[in-house]
Amino acid sequence: MNGLVLLGDALVLSGFVDALVDFLGPSNLGTVLLDGLAKAALYVMIASGLTLVFGLMGVLNFAHGSLTMVGAYLGGLLLVLTAGTATGGVTRILLFLLAVVTVFAILAAVGGLLEVGLIRPIYDRPPLYQILLTFGVTLALDEFVRIVVSFYGIQPISEWQAALATKPAALSQSYAFAGVSARGLALFQILFGVATIVAIWAFLTKTRYGLFVRAGSEDGEMLAALGVDVQRVFTLVFALGTGIAGVAGVLLAWDPSWGASVPLAAETLLPAFVVVIIGGLGTFRGTVVAAGIVGMTDATMTWWFQNFVDFTGLPEMTIFLILVLTLVWRPQGLYGVSEVGGH
Amino acid sequence: MSLLSLSNVHTYYGESHVLEGIDIDVHEGEVVALIGRNGVGKTTTLRSVLQLTQPRDGSITYRGEELVGLGTHEVAQRGLGWIPEERRMFGQLTVEENIRVAVPDAGDEAAALDQAFETFPDLESRRDADASDLSGGQQQMLALARGLVGENDLLLVDEPSEGLAPLIVDAVADALNAAAEHTTILLVEQNLPLALDLADRFYVIDHGTVVDSGDTSDVTADDDRLRRYLSA
Repeated sequence: MNGLVLLGDALVLSGFVDALVDFLGPSNLGTVLLDGLAKAALYVMIASGLTLVFGLMGVLNFAHGSLTMVGAYLGGLLLVLTAGTATGGVTRILLFLLAVVTVFAILAAVGGLLEVGLIRPIYDRPPLYQILLTFGVTLALDEFVRIVVSFYGIQPISEWQAALATKPAALSQSYAFAGVSARGLALFQILFGVATIVAIWAFLTKTRYGLFVRAGSEDGEMLAALGVDVQRVFTLVFALGTGIAGVAGVLLAWDPSWGASVPLAAETLLPAFVVVIIGGLGTFRGTVVAAGIVGMTDATMTWWFQNFVDFTGLPEMTIFLILVLTLVWRPQGLYGVSEVGGH
Repeated sequence: MSLLSLSNVHTYYGESHVLEGIDIDVHEGEVVALIGRNGVGKTTTLRSVLQLTQPRDGSITYRGEELVGLGTHEVAQRGLGWIPEERRMFGQLTVEENIRVAVPDAGDEAAALDQAFETFPDLESRRDADASDLSGGQQQMLALARGLVGENDLLLVDEPSEGLAPLIVDAVADALNAAAEHTTILLVEQNLPLALDLADRFYVIDHGTVVDSGDTSDVTADDDRLRRYLSA
């Protein structure tokens, strides 16, 4: 009996060593690295708006995932309406960029109205009010979208196939470079994520409003005493945050792993919170680093569950383990400060 | 006409009645000191002027215009600057960014930086350092610089010497004296000799009301008239 157990252990160990050697080969490692970067890019897109809003305003926006979902449907709608079957790949990319700009503008306007109409009146209330309010917004938005898409005969639970079908063929293919296989969509997502990081970083560090946002994140009262209309900065940042959430949705509408669907709201909210908490509530740099960690972990564990461990929950379990360890080791997150929010 | 006038101002923190009918006048070009023990309402008076804590009753006018009910940024935009207790730097912003954020017009940033570094040369060598990395004295210099570049006609200065070494206190006093040549100052200061040295007039506050006032030339730091309100 003991001999059988030892034999079994030896076989598992041997299989693990074989898988490890396979994983560390340049081909698999390169592929996992690219997949990890693509996932990190998506996580940055999903979480950036959330962290900007919390950093400045101290508001935990539970409607963030729903705004991403609305962005996915709006972006999908624009692409379905404009990209016909004869539309070429380059034109589809241009239409995608047009959809990004349009969805950003619409969601930013919605965000501005939400901030002025709903959130501003309860700034002075305890955080529970903001959580309940934004949670209420998410329930209302989810049901509204469910009713609308069902009315037009679209299945609200599964990914909207018509929107997925507008993706250019070039993004559906895989490309090989020096033995490393890369999905076209993954490369596109990496490019888009990098462009978003650069744009947000430039806004925060190179513009006067970005300076106000960073100052207000530390001490809103002092900023107001220097003559800056902090309420206006709040509105701008909330609009920016919801706009970015919408743009993330447009990007996800082309990804078959996500796609435009009503459950996308909850599916994106959870990883957004995980990334923001690991990085540190309210720090953009922390969000970028945490998205990189979570993305790489996700891609690595996905490879392991596909090739060695027969457990589909391995990526999620590992990510939540990192979250728990972060909370134990540094409750304020990697780059967070002990207290954030200036009001 | 007074530059700043507080009339029968009542301010509360929750149900705690902190200012119980304060009356103060500040005229253009003078330095006025608010003196009194800890917790009598000096800082709350400055916060009430800035509408950081809104009075429930009374009137605060600046150049004849009512401030009560305005937003804090609107008060500041009228030319009132605040150099708060504990400095309240934006710690994760650099020295340069802390100064830039206080300049009302983006086009004036370069000139404001030149002015700040000319007044406080120690700050120039640390212009790219995070404000949280500065010493206490350097942070106070930065707080003063931030107040001075704001094109303010009235500076509300709260405990500028608190926690500083004597040598640094002298430098702060010099900077405030220089600022007083072209700016009106309402000063809260526990260091009585320093307050009397800097100010033209004083108000003694006790239990949320003004209990004495006069010219600083008429009193000394160990005068019984002041000491009875300052000793614990």
